[in-house]
Amino acid sequence: MTQHHPSAPLKMGIPIPNSKLGMWLFLGTEIMFFTAFIGTYIVLRMGSPGWPTDVHVTHISIAAGGFNTFVLILSSYFVVVAHDALLGQKFAKAWQFMLWTLLLGFVFLGVKGYEYTGKFQHDILPGHIPESDKQAMDKVVREFGAIVDSRLAAMYPKLTKREDQKSELDTRITALKDKADATAAEKQELAAAEVMAELYAAQVDIKEHVRANWTLELPLVAFDQYRTMDESSEDWKKKYGEWKTSNAKKFEDNSLKDLKSYLNAEGKIDPLTLHEVNDRVEALKKDAKLGPLLGSLQPAHPILYGNLFASNYFLMTGFHAIHVIVGLFMFVLVLKKGSKLSLADATFVENIGLYWHFVDLVWIFLFPLIYIL
Amino acid sequence: MSDHHDEYHSHGKLYLSVFLALCGFTAISIVADLVHIPNRAMLIGIVLSVAVCKALCVLLIFMHLKFERAWKYLLLAPTFILACTIPFALAPDVGMHYYTVSVPQLAEYESQQAHKGDGHGGHGSDHGAKGGDKAHGGTDHGGGDHSHKAPEKH
Repeated sequence: MTQHHPSAPLKMGIPIPNSKLGMWLFLGTEIMFFTAFIGTYIVLRMGSPGWPTDVHVTHISIAAGGFNTFVLILSSYFVVVAHDALLGQKFAKAWQFMLWTLLLGFVFLGVKGYEYTGKFQHDILPGHIPESDKQAMDKVVREFGAIVDSRLAAMYPKLTKREDQKSELDTRITALKDKADATAAEKQELAAAEVMAELYAAQVDIKEHVRANWTLELPLVAFDQYRTMDESSEDWKKKYGEWKTSNAKKFEDNSLKDLKSYLNAEGKIDPLTLHEVNDRVEALKKDAKLGPLLGSLQPAHPILYGNLFASNYFLMTGFHAIHVIVGLFMFVLVLKKGSKLSLADATFVENIGLYWHFVDLVWIFLFPLIYIL
Repeated sequence: MSDHHDEYHSHGKLYLSVFLALCGFTAISIVADLVHIPNRAMLIGIVLSVAVCKALCVLLIFMHLKFERAWKYLLLAPTFILACTIPFALAPDVGMHYYTVSVPQLAEYESQQAHKGDGHGGHGSDHGAKGGDKAHGGTDHGGGDHSHKAPEKH
């Protein structure tokens, strides 16, 4: 009986525009999305004693992070100012402030890109980081091997197997050496081939030592003789005595030091240390002939939990950066209206503002968790 | 049109003060990092409370939650509860380790700690001290004595 008045329709639901409700619901899912990442990060850190926090190790720059925090806060402020101006019908001002927001978004991404470049240069990438000395040595061997492989493949592109390339290299060296009337080009080829052979030998040297875990001071020349002996057996010393007599001449021939100098207190060969390997890499890089061929080969330093750190870092900051990019697209959409910007756009601007503030909100938590703690 | 203009009350000043507050909070966090607070729990406390304050500023003022009606509770309460679930569900297993963990990193960490104890002299003592400090806080369950605790576990 009372519902006769057509002017007062029954109001249902939440008293905000549907699009704003939609945005808030979406932000609700986004909160859960990011707390999942941030929460797992906190929990993983709690359970990982020795998590890398030294900025010299992680290459995290608080200056870059702090600057980006300021950039996002400023851009967030500009969004509210733009929305405020829009409601006050100052459309040109609103447009300008949204443009500033867009530009600040690009600045943020630029700084982020700079930081990511640093991470790639230092190879702080998930799965690339050695977490113990042994893994670091293996990494040097692996990377050195890849360099040798690519150099050999570049020299002999027709051969696919490494062994074939190496034997071809040796054949060429012998052939060119024996040639009495070598041309200038052939002399050049010989020099290049000899450097390549040296590079190959240097890699094999490190590889064999890492595999056997024997000090680099023990020359590779004597390796096979040592290898055939069982150093764990009880009569190691007796065998060593026999071996020494039978190889005494060979020792002198190769001007090697006595085996004793490579043995430690337990009568075993000193183990290889990462320090030795890294020193060798540094020395090779300084070498006038081999250095230029080594390219990006670097000494390796283990970072405990480095891979977990890198995964978390890239997951959180990466998804955050994707959100920034999406936000920038939305600002472009509204900026395209130019002088046609009107009061009707206020809800849209409020919605993208909400989204942008949320992106800022995530960064407010990421900044202390990643850059400070 | 023009009376619309008169009707609208700008929040400009409020927004500016919130912006300045956010800048101030950021400065506090950065200073807290730069002065190297020896007590790690204190640093965590300061920095995270600052983050929560900043988050509240953004949520309440910039995102207008302060001015919204009661629907905000209806909408955000389930989200908040579900968001808390993951960390709380993972914490006992991954964060607190109620069982003996045997990850290679732990053995490596212990050998590093033992090594630090041996030769804490000359080389990079500042470095070592800092690393130890931070690692100490990182565990959150009496971290520093981990190296002593661990042998019992094995």
